[in-house]
Amino acid sequence: MYELSQYAFVAAFAALALAVCLYVVNVVGARGLSRMSLAGGGSMSTSSLGPTLDAAGRYATILTVNSFAFLSACLVFRAIASGHGPFSNMYEFSLAFSWGALVLYLYFEVQYRLRSLALLVLPVALGMMAYATTVPSDIEPLVPALQNNTLLTVHVAVAILAYGAFALAFGAAVLYLFQRRDTIRWLPRAVVLDEIGHKAVMVGFPAMALTIILGALWADIAWGTYWSWDPKETASLVTWLIYGGYLHARVIRGWRGSRSASLLILGFGATMFTYYGNLFFGGLHSYG
Amino acid sequence: MSAVETQEGLAAAFPARPRTTGGLWEREVLGRVWRFFTSIRLALILILMIAAAVMAGTLIDQVPASVIANPAAYDSWLQAAHSKYGVWAGVFDFTQLFNVFHSLWFRILIGLLTANIIVCSVNRWKGIWKTVFHTRTRMGDAFFQHARFNAAMTAQMPVSTAAERVHKALSHARYRVATQADDSSVAIFADRNRFSRFGTFLSHLSIVMILAGTVIGGIWGFSDDSFIVSEGAIQDVGHGTGLSVGLSHFTDEYYLQGPPKDYSSELVIYDKGVEVKSGTVHVNSPLSYKGISFHQAFFGQTAVMEVKDANGASIFSAGVPLAWQSLNGGRPIGSFTLPAKNETVYVTGPASGQTDPTIPAGEMQVEVYQSGGTLVSSGNVTQGVAKDLAGLNFTFVRESRFTGLKVVKDPGVNLIWIAAILMVIGLAMLFYFPTKRIWAICRQRPDGTADVRLATTAERDLSQTKEFENMRERVKLALGISGEGDDRKEGGAHV
Repeated sequence: MYELSQYAFVAAFAALALAVCLYVVNVVGARGLSRMSLAGGGSMSTSSLGPTLDAAGRYATILTVNSFAFLSACLVFRAIASGHGPFSNMYEFSLAFSWGALVLYLYFEVQYRLRSLALLVLPVALGMMAYATTVPSDIEPLVPALQNNTLLTVHVAVAILAYGAFALAFGAAVLYLFQRRDTIRWLPRAVVLDEIGHKAVMVGFPAMALTIILGALWADIAWGTYWSWDPKETASLVTWLIYGGYLHARVIRGWRGSRSASLLILGFGATMFTYYGNLFFGGLHSYG
Repeated sequence: MSAVETQEGLAAAFPARPRTTGGLWEREVLGRVWRFFTSIRLALILILMIAAAVMAGTLIDQVPASVIANPAAYDSWLQAAHSKYGVWAGVFDFTQLFNVFHSLWFRILIGLLTANIIVCSVNRWKGIWKTVFHTRTRMGDAFFQHARFNAAMTAQMPVSTAAERVHKALSHARYRVATQADDSSVAIFADRNRFSRFGTFLSHLSIVMILAGTVIGGIWGFSDDSFIVSEGAIQDVGHGTGLSVGLSHFTDEYYLQGPPKDYSSELVIYDKGVEVKSGTVHVNSPLSYKGISFHQAFFGQTAVMEVKDANGASIFSAGVPLAWQSLNGGRPIGSFTLPAKNETVYVTGPASGQTDPTIPAGEMQVEVYQSGGTLVSSGNVTQGVAKDLAGLNFTFVRESRFTGLKVVKDPGVNLIWIAAILMVIGLAMLFYFPTKRIWAICRQRPDGTADVRLATTAERDLSQTKEFENMRERVKLALGISGEGDDRKEGGAHV
């Protein structure tokens, strides 16, 4: 089972790497196309390039779906081999994070029929997988503090949902900042990017709240205190607060648009800090 | 929660008054304070300031609570901080940045946010109640023309048929539909998940409840991080509980690879000396009795010692938990007092995991101090061999274990879990099942066709673009209108 899981991971990694390349071809090619048609010339190459780009986009999507399937298989096999959810070390949690980003990305690609978000979101997922290759992947037995399988599995499941959604909101926010005056023809309109960012936070914000609550519940059972200002706890609270700020900022005059988008980027910074924070600090959360 | 809506609610609560007269002064001041706290901009500023404060508390080392309580310990902690932060240590100390979460300014920020949440909730209650229970079915022409999302179409049928079909299309989409007909038109209002509007109160007030829970826990609860019981001993819990805890046995298990597998303590709880409960505490399964819970926290070595006076009478016979570490050599160290002699005895065990030249395995170092802190006598005691020190006879009977428990009473914690559930329900209502509302009007045209208009409000906090498009297409389909052909005007509903 462990070997199967490792093979599935390699397949997921390769598929995603290839998918990212094809997305780049698809989106950057579309950019070239829009420039050419703007210039008014090159009708020959435009007509021959168009279908190729579409095919690149289609294959990119298919590969992403494949990567998602392989990664799901990887996580399932690993859970069978280890007997618990992906919460015991950074390897497991990195894979879960990638999985969350892929789920959310695919959902939004289908919902909005656009691929340009892939340029920012999928590299995050790919980066997480690349990081996973650098940390030990061995299945180690659970130390006493982590012997709360159900609670911690749900805790991590909602955490990756939140993190995946925040990665997506980050992608939409970065594109929004380039596109705020609708000047780039090959990108989605600013209003759509704004909506995607907001939709993603609508998914991620309640999930993050539940993540923190379940973490507190576990801490209360295991350590006798639901909150101890542990670095991981505080970092996740900061993340939640920033997205809470975003939800309010979005309805204040003068904060709509670019400033709100900046908060999404800041929020994703805090998300990454929450994720990697325990590498720099000690604390109760030092295993992942 | 739009700024405009807030302003309107405010105007209703505090109608503008031309000039303050003497008697109205208090109301005026109160009005200003109220107005200050109704601001959603204030909420944003407070949220971001609190986020920054929490971040600072994460990045800057925080003083442990046990150190704060002891001025001497705080001084030496500050010394260490000086070597890490240089001149900034003074600044951080002065601004309480070494103790962010217990600082006055952090509490003020939290207090302001609480006031902000309460005032905004009160302020919005009436408005939301009205939108949930008393929405107007018939909207004016201006609304259908200027609403952020609007559409107009012509149906080749009498107005009553058109209205019926629109009604049906909306019902099919699981909307709750209300209609109001007059001579030449039918007005329709439809909504879904209308109660989700109340999610805003649940999610905001749950924050206040959580804060209240922490205050209740802080006032009426206690937390003892280092409650130590040796095997075979019984220890009073204190804090006015009347409880005491006995440890029958402590077990630590390890996996073959080395990492720990389980730590467990078999405990017996006594209430005023009477045994009331017993059970085994593991790291993830505490034992509780009458709202007081016992959590496995740490463990260590205990030296069972016996002391006899010059006449051979036993004056001490108990386990001494070696729960501290000596500063030099990291040896486990514990102490006990001999009240009759006014002396304190320190017992030090061999450093673990290495051969200790000073204290060989199977021996304990015993040091006898007078009350003033003067060393009277010291020496190593071998297990099972009595030794005379300072006119007393010491025996290191055997080694055993102690368990370190965290003993907690937190009467606020249940309120916190209730609040947590309400928060999740509230947020799920707001974001996973958002309220959707749509208005339609079907008017008779002179040529016998029907003029159908759809519109929905500009709610920035709910992305309605796709939903509105979806409903427009459903209505078109129901009215037999294909493609874009019959659309005469559209709002900004295109993606």
